[in-house]
Amino acid sequence: MNAGDILLSLVRDFPYALIGSAVLGAACAFLGTHIVAKRVVFYSAVLTQVSVLGLALTFLPVFPISHAIGSLGLTLISALLLSGLLTRRRLTRDAVLGVVFTGAIALRILVLQMTSTVDSAEIETLLRGDILFVTAELFYPVLGVAVVVLGLHVAFFKEFVYVSFDAETASTQGFRTAGWEMLFYATAAAVIALGTHMVGDLFVFGFMVLPAATALLVVRRVSRIFLTATVIGAFVPMLGLVVAFAADFPAGPTSLALALVLLLCAAIAARLRPQQ
Amino acid sequence: MDTIITFTNATLGYGRTAVLRGVSFAISRGEYFGLVGPNGTGKTTILRAILGSLRPMSGTVAIGGLHGTPLRFGYVPQRETVESILPHTVEEIVTMGRYRQIGLFRRPGAVDRGIVSESLEHVGIASLRHQVFRDLSGGQKQRALIARALASRPEVLLLDEPTNGMDLSSRLSILQLIDRLHSEDHLTIIMVSHLLDDVANHARRIAIVERDFFQVGAVDVVLTGENLSSLYRMPVRVERRGGRTIILAGGPDERR
Repeated sequence: MNAGDILLSLVRDFPYALIGSAVLGAACAFLGTHIVAKRVVFYSAVLTQVSVLGLALTFLPVFPISHAIGSLGLTLISALLLSGLLTRRRLTRDAVLGVVFTGAIALRILVLQMTSTVDSAEIETLLRGDILFVTAELFYPVLGVAVVVLGLHVAFFKEFVYVSFDAETASTQGFRTAGWEMLFYATAAAVIALGTHMVGDLFVFGFMVLPAATALLVVRRVSRIFLTATVIGAFVPMLGLVVAFAADFPAGPTSLALALVLLLCAAIAARLRPQQ
Repeated sequence: MDTIITFTNATLGYGRTAVLRGVSFAISRGEYFGLVGPNGTGKTTILRAILGSLRPMSGTVAIGGLHGTPLRFGYVPQRETVESILPHTVEEIVTMGRYRQIGLFRRPGAVDRGIVSESLEHVGIASLRHQVFRDLSGGQKQRALIARALASRPEVLLLDEPTNGMDLSSRLSILQLIDRLHSEDHLTIIMVSHLLDDVANHARRIAIVERDFFQVGAVDVVLTGENLSSLYRMPVRVERRGGRTIILAGGPDERR
């Protein structure tokens, strides 16, 4: 089977996996560029772990809600609480994030212990994130959220960039910087939560960081960095699916490995390029 | 003169912690006003209160021209606070000064581009418009940030430590630019600095800011050896030579 045949087979048999991973990869990469630029990569790692905890909690009988709602709800609440906690001065930002990060992982392990063996296996499967098994029920919420989030970010691109670059001066010009920051983290939390539910935490976190880092290495215009990262985020997961299908690898890690290879190529290209 | 900023017995701080108490002074339109004092004593806090991003814990801070008309501020932050991973060009940075006027859902138009070009030329960095901001020297970055503030068409220019960490020639060049904006463009200038020489030789009036020591007045009256010795808890002499004020730290023993 050649690559074209595999792609046709994927389009026919796994359309939600193909389009879903591309849409999610693009959304993660776009938001990830802001996250890398704001130097809050650890924040997105924390939110992915919180969304996993939210997902795991819904397997307990005391939380009889859908996995998506559980993951989304806990991640949004955490994002809002963190935006307040991170501005306090008693603990450093890293310390607060570290507490939430370890707390979320520890609680997830405890929750897994409290669930039945069948549920525990299902949670682990969800976390491993096999893109091939994306269903319509998982795909459409992610598509809806991605379209709304990317639409908001394109419409308010200059405001998000300004507040990210220099919030203090933006506030002196009348921008409600706390509101813009909250909107940014809420949109990131929504994508992280639903994305984690669809394809797992590793894929989401990886596509928040790798395409952005790649674009930053080889592109020298701000708008083109966002565009390049988004294109990488959209195409690499599709390519990853083809490679995974051909080599019988898990799709999520394969996509991340390809994104990493691309990053290494970009690093070499950046190194070889003459300094301006 | 038209008083545009009035602090009346204001207590300023963050959360429940007061940084400055009983602050009272006024700034008139067209003044060149300096805020000086050691690091961490509340100079930037006063700046934030003027800009409206910090409300007084008690007392009042009244901002506005005649008949309460709102003032247009151009703020130049400490340049170390605006380092970015993204390769913003100088033109993009200066265009940010127009974002409020441009409004939501709109892109910069011909008028905005014209004002940006004018601002860049005004501060002498039109040739750097396509350069990446983070690759510039300290003096060039400072000019870009001043151009961004000018692009918002301000009446009052507030500068936070504009010459901090610069070599002598860049420092002088930035101070001359600020002087020109004051004398030729008639902007009200409020400059925060811990570099006493900068403020002493350019501002007309100053406020010495410290927790229990807040004095306002003409430079010659306030910037005395006695006041500065008390402020810095060490011998400080102020001498005037050839029309310039020179601040000398240390007593006679330290001069050797």
